[in-house]
Amino acid sequence: MAVQNRIDDTLLVREAQRGNRSAFEELVRHYDQAVLRLALHLTGSEHEAQDIYQEAFLKAYKNLGRFRFECSFYTWIYRIVTNLCLDNIRKKQVRKEDAPVATDAEGEVYDVLAQVADKRSGADPERDLMRRELGGKIAQALEKLTPRERMVFELKHYQGLKLRTVGEMLNTTEETAKNTLFRATQKLRSALAEMR
Amino acid sequence: MKCEWVQQNVVLYVYDELPDDARHELEQHVARCATCMAEVRAVKNFRTDLAPFSVQEPSPNFLTDSRMKLQEALESAEQGGWWSRLVFEPMNWLQQIRFAPALTAAIFIVGFAGGIGATYKMGKGRGTEELISKPAPAALSSVSGVSSIAQQPGSDQVTIKYDTIVPQQHTGSFNDPEVQQLLLYAARNNFNAGVRMDSVNLLTQQPNNQHVREALLYALRYDSNTGVRLKALNGLGPYVKDDVQVRDAVLEALMSDTNPGVRVEALRLLDPVRADSSVRIVLQRLAQKDENRYIRSQARAMIAQLPEMN
Repeated sequence: MAVQNRIDDTLLVREAQRGNRSAFEELVRHYDQAVLRLALHLTGSEHEAQDIYQEAFLKAYKNLGRFRFECSFYTWIYRIVTNLCLDNIRKKQVRKEDAPVATDAEGEVYDVLAQVADKRSGADPERDLMRRELGGKIAQALEKLTPRERMVFELKHYQGLKLRTVGEMLNTTEETAKNTLFRATQKLRSALAEMR
Repeated sequence: MKCEWVQQNVVLYVYDELPDDARHELEQHVARCATCMAEVRAVKNFRTDLAPFSVQEPSPNFLTDSRMKLQEALESAEQGGWWSRLVFEPMNWLQQIRFAPALTAAIFIVGFAGGIGATYKMGKGRGTEELISKPAPAALSSVSGVSSIAQQPGSDQVTIKYDTIVPQQHTGSFNDPEVQQLLLYAARNNFNAGVRMDSVNLLTQQPNNQHVREALLYALRYDSNTGVRLKALNGLGPYVKDDVQVRDAVLEALMSDTNPGVRVEALRLLDPVRADSSVRIVLQRLAQKDENRYIRSQARAMIAQLPEMN
């Protein structure tokens, strides 16, 4: 299936490079759900996730003429998205924002972790509270990672990508991605142990 | 296998990133080492502990809203046109192959040497003082323009800045980095197909160099001359098995190259990897509906040699 997608993407990219807008929109549909999911989990904000999503695909559209198939379109679009997400994380770290509180597309403030807990724990309020607390601790621990560690951990642990692919997306080697994952895991384990 | 190594690699093991042999060794070690077994359990528990902060799928409404907003934005966005490619692409090439510093250095060295040589010849029979104070002007035929003229106050000395266009040549071993840079440049930029053919021909002798391989991939995909594409294809042939980028490029050539000869050659090169799933899919397509009868029949023959997939 992945291989079939790769071939389809190549044909679609070629069409889009010739100016076919529908071909580009088809490409968008191949990846937009994954892009939105990644941005949403990293930013914790629908509004910011939508901004990243839009900026990423607009950049891809404007620069498609210069795409030379040196990597797959999948890697290329993820590279754009991860760069935008890294910028977002860096800005947040500078601003020291409260991560769990976020705003949705309508500007309403809501608690990201509360939403996570509600969906998973059903009608058990005690379990729900525990999950919420634990979710908050994890979010705090994740904030202690450097932006790059956060990104490698996100792409590996949450998005399930291979470290070789992660390396390509972040313009680094598989070995560096492995070391970064190791560091991120160690930091998270000790941060979570301290919080217990 | 030492416990230290296991501790360093247990994360990769739990995230399924260890090669099979290392994985096997680690499992063997863990089976008889309680400390390492505990570490493996701890990392597995850590993974499970993170479940409360799991990834949520974007809601259908949110996805639709995002798609609509993107469509609106695309209406007013413009793709980079030919002019922007013209402006930016040469810069990209230069950046990619790190050409600019090397070319500048090469021009500087050759120009400097040429200047000394010319000064020496013209200065024969004159005093050293004269040589230094009156450097020989460049031949007028090589002057492309005068950029500034300034007279020094209170004297008859005039300083003229001019640009020159002088054909240069560089001779060196194929392993000479400057020679390689110039070949890479010629492979992508020269208007003369014969020169491109010569440079691609020489580059195929060193496809292990990453820049060279990129240049060959570029030639295969974009060169307008069939001979150059064929030459690049042959240079890439030995790497079809191990390099996915090369395999993809050869598959592309097989599917969409305008020349049947290039396509047939691509088909031949893919024969050793015909069992690869990407190759299999393309072969099935070609066998069903390719316009070229020979390619259709060859694709069928290659599929017939494949083991049945369950």
